[in-house]
Amino acid sequence: MDKVAIVAGGTSRFGVRNLTWRELLQEAAAATFDAESRILPKEIDTLVVGAAEPERFAFQSYVAPLAAETLGMTPKMLLRTELACASGQMALRTAWAHIASGLCDVALVAGVEKMNLPNMAETQASMACVLDREWEGLHGASAPPFFAMCAQRHMHSYGTTVEQMAKVVEKNHHYSTFNPTAHFTKEVPMDKVLRSPMVAPPLRLFDCSGITDGAAIAILAREAIVPDLTDTPLWVHGWGQANQGFRTGAIGDLASWPAMSLAAREAYRNARVSPKDLDVVELHDCFSISEIIAYEQLGFTPEGKGGAFIDEGQSYIGGSTPINTRGGLLGCGHPLGATGVAQVVELFRTLRSEVPPQRQVSGATLAMAHNLSGNANTHSIGIYGLDKPGTAA
Amino acid sequence: MTSGALSADKHGGGAPPPRKPHIELPFLLDFVPLQDEGSTQVSRFFSALKEGRFETTRCTACDTLLFQPRTTCPECMSTELRWEELPQSGRIYAFSAMLMGAPIGMEKDLPFVLGLIDLDGVGLRIFSRFEGGSYEDFAIGQRMRLRVHTFPDGRVTYRFAPAADTFPLQAKA
Ligand SMILES: [Zn+2]
Repeated sequence: MDKVAIVAGGTSRFGVRNLTWRELLQEAAAATFDAESRILPKEIDTLVVGAAEPERFAFQSYVAPLAAETLGMTPKMLLRTELACASGQMALRTAWAHIASGLCDVALVAGVEKMNLPNMAETQASMACVLDREWEGLHGASAPPFFAMCAQRHMHSYGTTVEQMAKVVEKNHHYSTFNPTAHFTKEVPMDKVLRSPMVAPPLRLFDCSGITDGAAIAILAREAIVPDLTDTPLWVHGWGQANQGFRTGAIGDLASWPAMSLAAREAYRNARVSPKDLDVVELHDCFSISEIIAYEQLGFTPEGKGGAFIDEGQSYIGGSTPINTRGGLLGCGHPLGATGVAQVVELFRTLRSEVPPQRQVSGATLAMAHNLSGNANTHSIGIYGLDKPGTAA
Repeated sequence: MTSGALSADKHGGGAPPPRKPHIELPFLLDFVPLQDEGSTQVSRFFSALKEGRFETTRCTACDTLLFQPRTTCPECMSTELRWEELPQSGRIYAFSAMLMGAPIGMEKDLPFVLGLIDLDGVGLRIFSRFEGGSYEDFAIGQRMRLRVHTFPDGRVTYRFAPAADTFPLQAKA
């Protein structure tokens, strides 16, 4: 298998945008390439588009050729990946697999989601059909009550508090104030979280990531070509993924997500690293409670200690594992297909010391990106590093 | 599947044309599944529910109880399944409520309570809308009982309400 690295990337601004699906993609392209770029899309042989629900949000399917035409590409291999909230990461992983196996040389990965529609109830319906529509969606199931039940069980089993969840929100919004592409760029102190309207108890408005438009692009290349494209690549070190069930009643005890620890174990094994080796982590804080459970399932702290982990400041820059220094989904918003790509663009920039100092983890060389999808039944993880795999000291 | 055991109507042959429910939204924004024999092989689940029975399928080859009802057993790939009645009572495992942001068609239902019920004695955890109270009225471990909910066009689903609940079987207006 060929080694593969990320050699370039960029994102649109995230938010409620006056841009169509294809215009979001073009904004991300303009953020990734210019006339000085060592490669342009028209020279790239492979296109993988991560998009969760363009049929629902933009009434458009078959988006890979749309994206190719928009970017001026005539690729010899193109497709779209869909895994709900992990669609972007699956686009990266699919591109990696094609390059690593020798099927292509360079791939452009684009994650795009246009989510804000004139009718918010229609957007909510589209979000709800990620769950089991016939058997659970018809009851009114959607993401907020599911993650609310996870919070309820975590509080019930471990004594986790709404204040601890609010601290996660405060942290991620703090970092997003230094990210000009984030949907939310103002500080959200704990008391503001705790006074915000209740959405699905115990989760309040600021415990939930936003309905956000956005796009992100990353360029992946095989080892032999990497030096032509960048002097400081971000190498793919390993992947992990696991799924357990689909319907909500099959997910287990809700306070823990066994599929997440399975995915993490596989990723650590494939990358030959352990949790303490990671310098910075982008994880899927779709809700505040998701980040607390993730601290535990990814192995940064024992099960039940996620609340204490944020209380101790361990997930801030300067703590044991800086987490979501981009601003997270809570601060940046969560355009489904774009999120997984934008997280990796952030790691690419962080490990190259290119982000503003307030969210720079200095000296970081090894990083993780995690996405959950649906009702947390599936977890997808990538591990990335500055050192070429197998060459680390 | 055994002849006649799962559904009166077999693949293809002689299935009646779908009886169209009255759907106000575009069909692909309607959350309630089609339930008639012309649309699904497990229409018996819905016809039984209309008569007050909560049923699912059990695999006759490997004895696995399957929810939702299936046409092929995921454990052993047998199609020899039979219908079996489920208990209609259980305890709350977890719950929350939708106070805002309901999917289209459910805005008028706000606020509503949702949660997971551990059915008595069968090892099944079922997600459902709750009736008979607001969020503050429910607790983990509370005993609940199934009620049949009929949508205006006659399609049905199940919901759960407090077991001691005394108001009439029909949902509140
Ligand atoms: Zn079986």
